[in-house]
Amino acid sequence: MSMVRFDQVTKRYSKSKDALSDVSFELQHGEFAFLTGHSGAGKSTLLKLMMLMERPSKGEVFVDGELLNRMKPSRVPFLRRKVGVVFQNHQLLFDRSVYDNVALPLLIAGYSPSEVPRRVRAALDSVGLLGFEKRNPIELSGGEQQRVGIARAVVNKPQLLLADEPTGNLDPELSEEIMNLFLRFQQVGVTVLIATHDIALIERMGHRRLILDHGTLFDKGAGSDKNAGPDKGDANGH
Amino acid sequence: MAIKPSSAGASAHQIRLRNRLSGWSQQHQLVAVETLVRLLRQPFASIMTWLVIAIALTLPGAVWMTFDNLTQLSSRFQQSGSISVYLMPGTREEVAVGLQNALNAEDSVAKVSYISADQALSEFRRSSGLGDALDLLPDNPLPGVIMIEPDLRAAPAEVKAMIARAEHEPAVDAVVMDDAWLNRLEALIALSQRVVWVVSVLLGISIVLIVGNTIRMSIANRVDEIRVMKLVGATDAWVRRPFLYTGLWYGMIGGLISWLLLILGWLLVSGPVRNLASLYGSEFDLHPLSAAVALILLLSAMFLGWAGAWWSVVRHLDDIEP
Ligand SMILES: Nc1ncnc2c1ncn2[C@@H]1O[C@H](COP(=O)(O)OP(=O)(O)OP(=O)(O)O)[C@@H](O)[C@H]1O
Ligand SMILES: [Mg+2]
Repeated sequence: MSMVRFDQVTKRYSKSKDALSDVSFELQHGEFAFLTGHSGAGKSTLLKLMMLMERPSKGEVFVDGELLNRMKPSRVPFLRRKVGVVFQNHQLLFDRSVYDNVALPLLIAGYSPSEVPRRVRAALDSVGLLGFEKRNPIELSGGEQQRVGIARAVVNKPQLLLADEPTGNLDPELSEEIMNLFLRFQQVGVTVLIATHDIALIERMGHRRLILDHGTLFDKGAGSDKNAGPDKGDANGH
Repeated sequence: MAIKPSSAGASAHQIRLRNRLSGWSQQHQLVAVETLVRLLRQPFASIMTWLVIAIALTLPGAVWMTFDNLTQLSSRFQQSGSISVYLMPGTREEVAVGLQNALNAEDSVAKVSYISADQALSEFRRSSGLGDALDLLPDNPLPGVIMIEPDLRAAPAEVKAMIARAEHEPAVDAVVMDDAWLNRLEALIALSQRVVWVVSVLLGISIVLIVGNTIRMSIANRVDEIRVMKLVGATDAWVRRPFLYTGLWYGMIGGLISWLLLILGWLLVSGPVRNLASLYGSEFDLHPLSAAVALILLLSAMFLGWAGAWWSVVRHLDDIEP
């Protein structure tokens, strides 16, 4: 059973044109894929469908074998706990510490407070931010903030990790560092889908590419020059 | 190194039930404390809301206190109004004494005394000074009378029922009680109580609206936070919880302030009232709000605060989607 399956999915916001038209693809458990395409091609829309931030106009979306189309609103939170998301505008809360930001999904999922600190530290460790717990996210650099967002996305050990332009404003070095971070999650079994504009980076990294063009999907498979596998970059950077 | 998601992926979502339950109740406590601390840390942000709630509660509370004292006052007056049961002329002595005993056995009766027709005549003879002139009358014109002092603890309805029973006795000619003014006082209290109920309901609604509006503003201030919470899997109940607790605390703090206001008001008024009463030779004392009533006031304040928050949350929170 695949982790994600889109079956002839069409998403129409307004009558004039489709944001996604007749999109079908599958992501296997533990797969790593990029999602690319011009601005307005429908990348964010595709990711939002997997989180039920939007619902498809036509076709069927499955996540972890569950059909999302008719999922009751009361079930949606439990779907979202299975899926970690990272956004370009990291959506951190600046009225609380890094620790509290990362702990949020655990508190929401009902972990007992005694279990929370250990998991938060493990997540911060995995993004190289151990020791940043007490800092306020606003004091951190863009890359550090992005990594706090990633820690928050993975702290609950999601099976699926979605990232929408996670390296948007970052310099190439930092972008690569973050991509390597995602690769490490894939190595421990997480299914990862990353939407990005950064063609150069994708070319260097290889991996499967889903390309959107005005709402139509083309599946490019793994890059030809490099096969799937982690780059040797120093992900921890410091 | 990295945490191991997929191997633990499935079990991560099946946290043991006990853990989950204790997590849930601890979460409630945490939210309760957090929201209270948040409110108390910025007292000036919410002081207007507290005061408006307090004033809206103090008004009915004060009226309640007044009525409590008035009913106590009216039942005190009741004991002074004694009841005269006039017997038929020519009623035999043993019938009269039997009736006296029957009335004495009534719950609502404190004391009964019987004045026979002969006693009444000799009393009259003495007090009127007519003396021998009365001997000219062929019969004793005065009826026998049974005087009743109602028990002051008895409910007015009980006393009325007792009177009705006495009136039905064949040996009884008439029952006379000077209770017109008492009835008027009771009717007045009943009417004002109804008015107070209506006003209390309106004030209660205004508390709901005030808290609702305050919560609406704090929701608006925290839209980003709510979006993020929903994005990482918060249920509606989870997102609502801090706002509902905030409403509860608003009600409680407002209730406590209104307690203070009522105690203050009592301290200011009870001294002069005692002086006034003593001028009239009464030992009447203004009672403060009873503990039970104070508790009811506080609980209803908390309920109204919670209801206001609920109203606001249902209208504004569920629409916020990531
Ligand atoms: N909420 C919305 N209401 C109406 N139209 C929308 C909405 N969201 C997206 N669209 C439209 O759907 C299309 C796809 O948008 P989407 O955000 O998915 O593109 P994208 O590939 O993520 O672009 P970008 O790279 O600029 O982020 C666009 O034409 C956009 O205008
Ligand atoms: Mg986008």
